[in-house]
Amino acid sequence: MNLYFGDILPYMGELLTALGMSFGITIASFVIGGLLSVVVYLGKASRVRVFQILASGYIGIFRNTPLLVQIYLIYFGLPVFGVNLDVFQASLVALSLNNASYCAEIIRGGFESVPRGLIEAGEALGLDRRTIFAKVSLAPALRGVYPSLVNQFVHLFLTSSIASIIGLPELMHAVLEINSQTYRSIEVLAIGALLYFASGFIISLLARGAERFLFRWAVNA
Amino acid sequence: MFIEQLLGLLRAAGWTLALCVSAGVAGTIIGFLLGVGQVSKIVVLRWITTAYVTVIRGVPVLLLIFFVYFGIPVLFAVDLAPFLAGFVALTVVAAAYMGETFRGAIQAVPRGQFEAAEALGVRYLDRTFRVIMPQALRIAVPSLTGYLINLVKDSSLIGIIGFVELTRAAKILSNLTLDPLGAFLMAAVIYFMISFTISRIGVAVERKLAPKSKASSRKLATTAIPAGN
Amino acid sequence: MITIEKLHKQFGEVEVLRGIDLTVAAHETVCVIGPSGSGKSTLLRCINGLEAITSGTITVGGIDIGASKNNLAEVRKETGMVFQQFNLFPHMTARENVAFAPMRVRGLSKAEAQDRANRLLERVGLSEKGDSFPSQLSGGQQQRVAIARALAMEPKVMLFDEPTSALDPEIVGEVLDTMRTLAEEGMTMVVVTHEMGFAREVSDRVVFMDQGQVVEIATPQEMFGSPKQERTKSFLDKVL
Repeated sequence: MNLYFGDILPYMGELLTALGMSFGITIASFVIGGLLSVVVYLGKASRVRVFQILASGYIGIFRNTPLLVQIYLIYFGLPVFGVNLDVFQASLVALSLNNASYCAEIIRGGFESVPRGLIEAGEALGLDRRTIFAKVSLAPALRGVYPSLVNQFVHLFLTSSIASIIGLPELMHAVLEINSQTYRSIEVLAIGALLYFASGFIISLLARGAERFLFRWAVNA
Repeated sequence: MFIEQLLGLLRAAGWTLALCVSAGVAGTIIGFLLGVGQVSKIVVLRWITTAYVTVIRGVPVLLLIFFVYFGIPVLFAVDLAPFLAGFVALTVVAAAYMGETFRGAIQAVPRGQFEAAEALGVRYLDRTFRVIMPQALRIAVPSLTGYLINLVKDSSLIGIIGFVELTRAAKILSNLTLDPLGAFLMAAVIYFMISFTISRIGVAVERKLAPKSKASSRKLATTAIPAGN
Repeated sequence: MITIEKLHKQFGEVEVLRGIDLTVAAHETVCVIGPSGSGKSTLLRCINGLEAITSGTITVGGIDIGASKNNLAEVRKETGMVFQQFNLFPHMTARENVAFAPMRVRGLSKAEAQDRANRLLERVGLSEKGDSFPSQLSGGQQQRVAIARALAMEPKVMLFDEPTSALDPEIVGEVLDTMRTLAEEGMTMVVVTHEMGFAREVSDRVVFMDQGQVVEIATPQEMFGSPKQERTKSFLDKVL
């Protein structure tokens, strides 16, 4: 067995560009999925039974089926209805929908973690429901969900690699391409792994730093 | 015609389950050892196990699967059958996630338990397996069932290396029938049923294992599904 | 000031308050004592509507709390509550905690509210801590800020729900001192507490509750010196 990383050097530019695509699709689907998740959360928390059922059903479906099947359904299945999405669009839709289902649960956890006493204090002071929600519960809830959201982001980043299967030119895809050109499997896979790992690590580090600033008031930021 | 297709998918689902159960069991056993290792007093052991768990969890599952598939033939000069390659890959991943779960569960066992066992003179191996493990297991059950569901979802990626599990079977079916919607919807439903069953079993196991006290019967943890794919 | 008539409160199957009749006069300090589970906290929380009444009436400052939502809102403006767990808003500084409700509910401008907050913080002895977050304050300091926060609404009645139970023993004193000063200044107060010393020295009347009923009401001298009821006697024997 002889490992030779030199063969990979000329491809570094390609790998980094692909890494950029991975980041791009992750950020885009995190934001879109995040906004969608608020809607889903409100649906689940709503008192209207129909919304509750729809939201729970949505969450249940996307969390209990593989992302790959979801991507296949969107990329290959939607054309049956005349909706033809290209690789990028299909990946974006699938990842966003998937992300939304997880974020909705994270948000719910955040609001449920706000101590009842804070809300009671707000009520005792005569504050109305809207003010209590926006000014009393929101900040502590956000502080509670922050670590989970960061984890979810990193997770989304790693699972975006699945989009390579339908041909999205992100990092995993580039790795496989280079592999088929150089046959230096272990080398290129190792570098790919390193890039994924390092990226995730840096993201977590930056997030931790931001946490300390954003939530100065918290006991354990 | 439809029934034949469904049966074909169900057969593939059987293989999915075979893969997941075997990798799940192997991963749980190794994962427990990794969990013990991460809290061990031996620094080197702590280091190695933590490094393993951190690295494996910081890398995409798909990449790991390819690593096993391409790497093992190169590193060990053996050709791996797709099932075996899939089994190894999933076990490697499962062990890392279980390792992290068990680490948390072991650390959640009240300190007093360790100390009482030590004070009574119970030796390390006995302490670990007879006192701590049962308690850690009970704490870990919700996360374990949650991860098992993830494992089932991760197994959908094994099709890439040629093993005909449920998702690959659905893809093949969709190419044959030119009906991707039908094929993948059927597969999705089957996956959903599998996950649902695992959740139910998980809740039942939790209920059985819960210590009989007022406090615990009020706060039965619901089987949470950690971020998977 | 406060009139409670035939108050019943049920939680599902369990009846926690079984017909309470109680009046609290203006400027009076009433301490409510009794064993755990006697319903004292529940009674207090019914007064400002944190717990819904099953039957009976509560009138605060002439307003029937159960008659309408508006009434409830009015009553909450006139009652201040101090909780066992402080419940300060963690993401706001001490000053912001105190100034918040006056701005939102009483319509004060930011400057007026901050001014009032500063004065109140000084009154509870924490003028230098205005910019601190609750996480930076000790338990006793947090509770005093909580008292200031409740006072900021200029309530007619102050309700205290075991205000010192969550504090370390050596800190209890500073909070009780603040409460004592409040009582001396003439605030109408209802205090649920285990601090018998405080009850004896500061209250005008003491109410003993057990199993959802008012067993005995007396002046501190009578209650602690020569209690009339058996249940009162046995409770006091255990705690004193």
